[in-house]
Amino acid sequence: MVNFGNERSALQVTDRQLNATFTALADPTRRAIVARLARSDATVNELAAPFKMTLPGISKHLKVLERCGIISRSRNAQFRPCHLERNALDDVSLWIEENRRVWTERFDKLDEHLRDIQSKEGTS
Amino acid sequence: MTDQQPTPDELATLEFSRVFDAPRELVFRCMTEPEHLTHFWGPTGVSAPLENIHVDLQPGGVFETVMVRDDDAREYATCATYIEVSEPDRLVWREAHSGITVTTTFIELDGDRTEVHIHQTNVREAFRSTAAQAGFLSSLDRFELYLDQLIGTRVR
Repeated sequence: MVNFGNERSALQVTDRQLNATFTALADPTRRAIVARLARSDATVNELAAPFKMTLPGISKHLKVLERCGIISRSRNAQFRPCHLERNALDDVSLWIEENRRVWTERFDKLDEHLRDIQSKEGTS
Repeated sequence: MTDQQPTPDELATLEFSRVFDAPRELVFRCMTEPEHLTHFWGPTGVSAPLENIHVDLQPGGVFETVMVRDDDAREYATCATYIEVSEPDRLVWREAHSGITVTTTFIELDGDRTEVHIHQTNVREAFRSTAAQAGFLSSLDRFELYLDQLIGTRVR
């Protein structure tokens, strides 16, 4: 059933959040960074290594990911490792899943309703 | 994920289809008349009381509902505007509460059956252009699979 009361309910995840996530992931370098961070936390140097890119170039991408909450960076540690915030991606999955569920359940009920009214028509 | 690049129109869409054992005119009426909508608009555990369903079936007309949870009576209002009304084969509305445009197509099948196809589009221009430039695969259905692949495991 739909968790209307749940703060992270599909119907309440905003357009803005979804768009921010999609926009951040619309770049292949940023997707590669996310895939790398899914394995473990990593420093900027470690993230830059596989790319033909300068550190400032990578930093720019990290800022985009950080701004929309997909990654976080430790403020204290010396090398400020980047960490993947899986919840940010989970919100998108959750939204898709619940949206699909709403329509599935709606259509289950519609199917039942159509049977009801047609059987009534048939008997009257 | 496939290598196929989506067109801008395919970006950020969600689709559902269901075949109903009923003629198209009847299915169309069910999707547009409050007396019918009240029976199914709320998903499982949620009702859509008749008195709160408003349908003004014409372009620019409203399509409003209030869904009420059966367990704690919490309410959730939806507010949409019809963009296109073409009885009995097509309905398009835009939801103000979610920013999503929903296109419903009613397809006549053999034996008085009807396929209802729901196509949802999130049409934020900012997203569209960014994603389109990147040629990013973002059909939402496929995006979900893609996320799973990207981060390896289901986050739940």
